[in-house]
Amino acid sequence: MRVTAEAKESTRRAILDAAQTLFRTAGFEATTTRDVVKAAGIATGTLFNYFSTKEAIVIALVVESQALKPLRTADARPASLEEALFSLVAAELRQLKPHRTYLMPILESTLSPLAEARGDDSGQALRSDHLARVVELARQYELEAALTPVALQIYWTLYLGVLAFWTNDRSPKQVETLALLDQSLSMFANWLGSHEPD
Amino acid sequence: MSLTVAELLQALPQVDEETTAPPNGLTVPNGLAAPQEPSLRPVPVGRWQRMTLLGSLQAKIAAAYLFYWIRGWFKSADENSRLLAETHWRTAVHVLNSMGYLRGAVMKAGQTLANFPDIAPREFVETLEKLHFDAPPMHWSLLREMVHNELGDDPENLFAEFDPTAFAAASLGQVHLARLKTGEVVAVKIQYPAIAQSIANDFRNLVLFLLPNRLGRDWLNLKDQFDDFRLRLEQETDYDLEARNLEKARALFRDEEGIIVPRVYRQYSTARVLTMDLLEGVHMDEYLARNPSQAERNEVGIKMVRASYRLMYAGRMLYNDYHPGNFLFLDDGRLGLIDFGYIMPLDDELWELFRMIDRPLTTGRADDRLAALKTWSGLGEESSDQLRLYSEFGEWQWRARAEGGVFDFGDEADFRRGVDIFTQMLRKRYSRGHRTTLTITRGNFGWRSLLYRLGARFDIRPLAEAEIAATGWDRSSYARPGGKA
Repeated sequence: MRVTAEAKESTRRAILDAAQTLFRTAGFEATTTRDVVKAAGIATGTLFNYFSTKEAIVIALVVESQALKPLRTADARPASLEEALFSLVAAELRQLKPHRTYLMPILESTLSPLAEARGDDSGQALRSDHLARVVELARQYELEAALTPVALQIYWTLYLGVLAFWTNDRSPKQVETLALLDQSLSMFANWLGSHEPD
Repeated sequence: MSLTVAELLQALPQVDEETTAPPNGLTVPNGLAAPQEPSLRPVPVGRWQRMTLLGSLQAKIAAAYLFYWIRGWFKSADENSRLLAETHWRTAVHVLNSMGYLRGAVMKAGQTLANFPDIAPREFVETLEKLHFDAPPMHWSLLREMVHNELGDDPENLFAEFDPTAFAAASLGQVHLARLKTGEVVAVKIQYPAIAQSIANDFRNLVLFLLPNRLGRDWLNLKDQFDDFRLRLEQETDYDLEARNLEKARALFRDEEGIIVPRVYRQYSTARVLTMDLLEGVHMDEYLARNPSQAERNEVGIKMVRASYRLMYAGRMLYNDYHPGNFLFLDDGRLGLIDFGYIMPLDDELWELFRMIDRPLTTGRADDRLAALKTWSGLGEESSDQLRLYSEFGEWQWRARAEGGVFDFGDEADFRRGVDIFTQMLRKRYSRGHRTTLTITRGNFGWRSLLYRLGARFDIRPLAEAEIAATGWDRSSYARPGGKA
């Protein structure tokens, strides 16, 4: 029997919803794929037709949250690249908030700079999408020439560092993450400004 | 009013290595480099980074200077100003430069220093006060995120209007003008992210820098000051607490008394955002620059004293923050009290102590004073020197009230006497004895400093007598109706 695109989407949805609930309530580590299968009401093998790992489910949730609403563009142009980057990441954090507590595993496995070395490209789309936005912002501030591959790698490492801190930030309303983000971007923008090729 | 640190730096004369050499061993190399626009830089949060900043040249000067300055409390003010008048100005500007980065703790220190107009070099104090109104460095995107984090939505959605440019820098945050959807014009105070943590780091850094001096006799004294300061900052980073204090205080004053405390809008306030009525007025310097008449000065002084007694006796709240920036002189003559971040609640233990010192405060008798001070401090005859100083300070501090009659708070010689006793107490760590003594003494001193700057002349006793009625204390054994004991 052929599975219609509609049915596929419905199954996929059921998996994502069940996983999201379980990750939130029981935690990422404690949740098994078997739990997800059971909660989604699907056959055991079906899940792997859609997602090869638990991490892939999180990636899909993250991608989906980013796609739900377009990132807000500031009504007034931020005064600096530093502020524009802050605005970009802060908006992402708002969208990622429902997934905050179980983001760490994918930071370690699929988004980390080590993932590429392992040949795991499941986080590739997220990474390139985010970096494309960064390059676009740099262009607006005429700093794109400074965004060499090395600079982008440095940025990505900082970005992941902020995300990692955020997933575990126990300060009230994760206010320390805002301070860290502000400081990190300030450091990056200052460094970028001083390394701009002539 | 506003002044940027960059402007100050530009106005600086060439730095002379010899005159800028700090006194505690840190050397000042040539070629001081000024950051272009320090006030626009964000607050460094990580201890490591702040340590690096403190390790920067300006910050070394700042740390050295502050240390020297605190030590300076222990010399006579005269000697201080004679020897260092030249150096003060230059160094103050460099301290301000550092404050752009480390503004959390250091600006707060600046405000505290401003309470001691005769100890702190005047230029230093004035410059610090101006800095309070400098444009602060939280950029709009960060600010919006703070508001969203705290109040659940962006400022442009929550308020009918929200001015993205701060109109004032609070020591631990910045203040924005906004209009509520219901029409009220409000001041929204927004705390810098993670400022409490960053202040705690500052203190550790300062202590590290001052470590070589820890064998000196002033070390423990300095540590007391820091401990006191840290306690205060913990309170000041809790805007929830401040909101409660504001509400309690506001209820204590009637319109016709000409004293106003802004109303808090709870639905727009959290532990890190505080929204309250905007009071429009000028600060003390600007008020004094208008050359108010003696009668007007007296009137303001009376309001300050009445407010302080009302809070104490009817509200059981000790207002300790007599920084000039916390008082607003409204055009219609009212006095606005705008900062309630540092209030000491008078719990039952303190209330009993206050009740006890009412006797010497009222009678002015030396034996009453000594008895009360012994109880307060827990000291016996073996600490006669300490008790003597306590008593001397009490006599200075309470005389206006005990004697009654018009008192000239602007009398320089009298004020200087208080400064001398106070600095002696600090030097000998005699302000210790009770957990609250240092704070209370400093609060009292700040209060007198303001009245001194104001040059007010009035009879404080009837004000005290009127306000103390709210306590319901039985004072029949020592207070005589309508006159001296």
